[in-house]
Amino acid sequence: MIRRKRTQAAPPDGPEETFEPYEEFRRIPLPVYWIAIALAIWGAVTLWDNAQAVGVGRQERAEQIEETPAAALNSGAQIFEARCSTCHQPNAVGVRSAIPPLAGSRFVAADPAVVVQILLHGIDGPIDVGGRTFDAHMPSFASVLSDAELARVATHVRQTWGGDRQEITAAFVRVQRARFAGRGAWRGGEELARVVDPALGPQPSAGPAVISAFADPAVLRLVNQGRGEAWACSSCHGAAGQGGANIPRLAGLPEGYIVKQLQDYVTGRRRNESMQTVAGALTDAERRGLARYYSGLRAPSTAKPELGGDVSRGEQLALYGDWSRNLPACFSCHGPSGFGVAPGFPSLAAQHPAYTASQLAAWVGGGRNNSDVQLMNEVARNLSDADRRAVADYLATLPPVPAVTQERR
Amino acid sequence: MSVTIGLLLALSFLVSLLALAFLIWAVTNRQLQLHQGQAYTVFTPGEAGTPDDATLPGDDAQSVGPHHYDAEREGIDAVSRRPVMILIGSGIAWLAIGSIFGLMASLKLHWPDWLTDVAPLTFGRVRTLHLNLVIYGWLSMTGIGVALWIAPRIFHTALRHPRLPVIGAVLWNIAVACGALAIASGWTDGEEWLEIPWQIDGLLALAGAFFVWPLLHTALRRNVDHIYVTGWYYLGALCWFPVLFFIANLPGIHSGVQEATVNWWFAHNVLGLWLTPLGVGAAYYFIPKIIGKPIYSYSLSLLGFWALALFYSQVGIHHLIGGPVPTWVVTLSIVHSVMMFVPVIAVAINQHVTVARNLWAFKASIPLRFVSLGALMYTLASFQGSIEALRAVNTVTHFTQYTVGHAHLGAYGFVSFVLFGAVYHMGPRLTGRQWPAPALIAVHFWLVVVGFAIYFFALTIGGVLQGLAMLDATRPFADSVTVLAPYLEARSVGGALMTLGHLIFAGHFVALLAQGRAPHATTAPTDTVPATQA
Repeated sequence: MIRRKRTQAAPPDGPEETFEPYEEFRRIPLPVYWIAIALAIWGAVTLWDNAQAVGVGRQERAEQIEETPAAALNSGAQIFEARCSTCHQPNAVGVRSAIPPLAGSRFVAADPAVVVQILLHGIDGPIDVGGRTFDAHMPSFASVLSDAELARVATHVRQTWGGDRQEITAAFVRVQRARFAGRGAWRGGEELARVVDPALGPQPSAGPAVISAFADPAVLRLVNQGRGEAWACSSCHGAAGQGGANIPRLAGLPEGYIVKQLQDYVTGRRRNESMQTVAGALTDAERRGLARYYSGLRAPSTAKPELGGDVSRGEQLALYGDWSRNLPACFSCHGPSGFGVAPGFPSLAAQHPAYTASQLAAWVGGGRNNSDVQLMNEVARNLSDADRRAVADYLATLPPVPAVTQERR
Repeated sequence: MSVTIGLLLALSFLVSLLALAFLIWAVTNRQLQLHQGQAYTVFTPGEAGTPDDATLPGDDAQSVGPHHYDAEREGIDAVSRRPVMILIGSGIAWLAIGSIFGLMASLKLHWPDWLTDVAPLTFGRVRTLHLNLVIYGWLSMTGIGVALWIAPRIFHTALRHPRLPVIGAVLWNIAVACGALAIASGWTDGEEWLEIPWQIDGLLALAGAFFVWPLLHTALRRNVDHIYVTGWYYLGALCWFPVLFFIANLPGIHSGVQEATVNWWFAHNVLGLWLTPLGVGAAYYFIPKIIGKPIYSYSLSLLGFWALALFYSQVGIHHLIGGPVPTWVVTLSIVHSVMMFVPVIAVAINQHVTVARNLWAFKASIPLRFVSLGALMYTLASFQGSIEALRAVNTVTHFTQYTVGHAHLGAYGFVSFVLFGAVYHMGPRLTGRQWPAPALIAVHFWLVVVGFAIYFFALTIGGVLQGLAMLDATRPFADSVTVLAPYLEARSVGGALMTLGHLIFAGHFVALLAQGRAPHATTAPTDTVPATQA
């Protein structure tokens, strides 16, 4: 065995000569004790504190799950204020030639089943109120409000403006819900009078029923089969344009808005790889046809809050904004109940929260840059991440926009 | 109810700490009667204080030195030579192959279309091959080889059953090769660190028994009362790893969240209760051995070992922060991760003080440089890991390349560096020949040091940027990918330098073997007298 050792060439400071065994006998240095004790205390406190935090989290979760009964504590008047007054006005006088009044309306004073049926299914057709004909587009609240809530708001409306003291019960609403389960909106006053209560008197009748008011065979082919790079719209946006998760609901969006978005995908002002491919493969006429088709499409809401946002904060932002953060109310531009204002302002109601929140984020991050005068860029910048989720979750609780009809155009 | 869980956890945590403190106190007091002189068991009388480094230049005439127990050592080394050579040689071969797969995986992250036509060479398999080859091939085999060489020396007795580890090495090699083929063909258990199918794991476990029994038997027949700290780590690792490996690989017992929990319990314990003891044990031996000075404090050694044993086993669940695991399990894991500061500081003081007081040796000896740099990386990797386990930090770094950088700081910067130094120190003693080209050792050193520095800093910086990009909801996901691209390219550069260093290392080792054994064969007594009788 060859052992090579540098025994001759002593190391620079030659420590092996000064080697002393006693010096190597050492206790654990004091700072090590301090560190160990400090860490031990930290560890015990963390374990204890975490269990507390878990308890708090559980309670919050339980409250969230119990939210439906908690919301049920709202009075009929409160539900009316939140859900109805944006269109029908707080004093229920409506808007001349657009929104029918409730005060003095024959529909409110008629059989209790009429109000409940309208709330459950909505109206999509002409009605006659106080001698004036309204082209009614009342949304369905069946997916948004519980039987008990519907009972309370219907009672409130009938007691306040219909002069009827009788209370509508949740059981009554349940029966009414089951009575025409699965049907769409009432097609005008004529159908309501015929099916629910003849006391409504003579009412105008609606045209024939169609899925979308503007179905065209070529457009339907694009929607359902696609063509080359213009993939079938329904493959992502759903058969009824209802969307899902990060894919937007298209049903009921303003026609002009859809056309503009498709053009913006082509010019790159709005970015999304899939949609840029699809929009680039469409002709101008096809974009217009699709926009028309989806603007007239009606689909029940499939959206629900799923981002864990604070819905009441979202409601606050949507209805009133937050001027301390320079945030206008969403509804001041996007219309009452977030139904949208054609042609430029899309409807927000019943939009999927993941999509709404991701678009708000995209305005900030530059993924979307197609707002006139940078309006949405500014708004989105002032929203915190929590606010984005709050407002997106709130908008998902709203009933879907009533689709426009052929007659209205 | 939450208060009950919190109280129970906090109390049992404190009670176990008190028990640990009592254990260390009790052992320390017994140690006092045995004298701190036990720290000298690595040396034969008179050897302490002399730098012992075969890579230093010098000629044979000067090689005698005051080593009274050379013959005894020779006898011991001669018995363990064959299994050790086979294990280390195999380990180095797996290192060379594993590094090439690692480099391929790295390149594929920024050349995504490279080699995509051949299924075994797609990223998912190449990366997995790299991981399994370096863990089960390079680190485990070389680590066991070093252990088989050190253990008989500190026990002052020859290795028992020296043929068994040879059989074990053959079986282990077959198992690793079969595992690699299985992974390349797409047959895996589907869990990180446990990819090798359990059917093949059975062979690994069997091979492991061929290493464990001779080492345990040697420890039982030792000629010293006291077991030097390296021995504790080796014996600990030999008890812990088989249990871990067996439980984690039992098929069909765990599923879903439990499976993930067991997976990470195992994966992290492979680092902490298998590779760490192999690395720390070797560093504890080679640092005083090469410098010629005893380590700093036995009390600290005790603290370092027993605190590792207490805290480490719970650490792995911090990989599941935010996952659907009971929160208290995760928090317990975070607390234990942070408590790892205690053993790490203890080991750090023990090892770094010894080196810092003998910096001349650090400059003079490249093996020591490898080993003590590796020990330093252990300190850094452990501190980094403790901090990474905190929820606030984990939120940013989890699912990013930062974690990959951290894993390499531990498995590469620490364990591999220590093993490089160990092989360079042991090579001449195993063959009786000098390294044929000592300059290549320096080349290897600087290649891997520079390469790893590039590697680590690129992934650490890139990983944080990636994490911040992913957390920012206003940025598209693609941003977190594009921001990383230059750092991934830098990582490939660093990885290429490291791989080049490994190939030089492997080539040098082959050249060393090609010289053949030294002509004067040593006499081979199979046992020695106890050191205390000398």
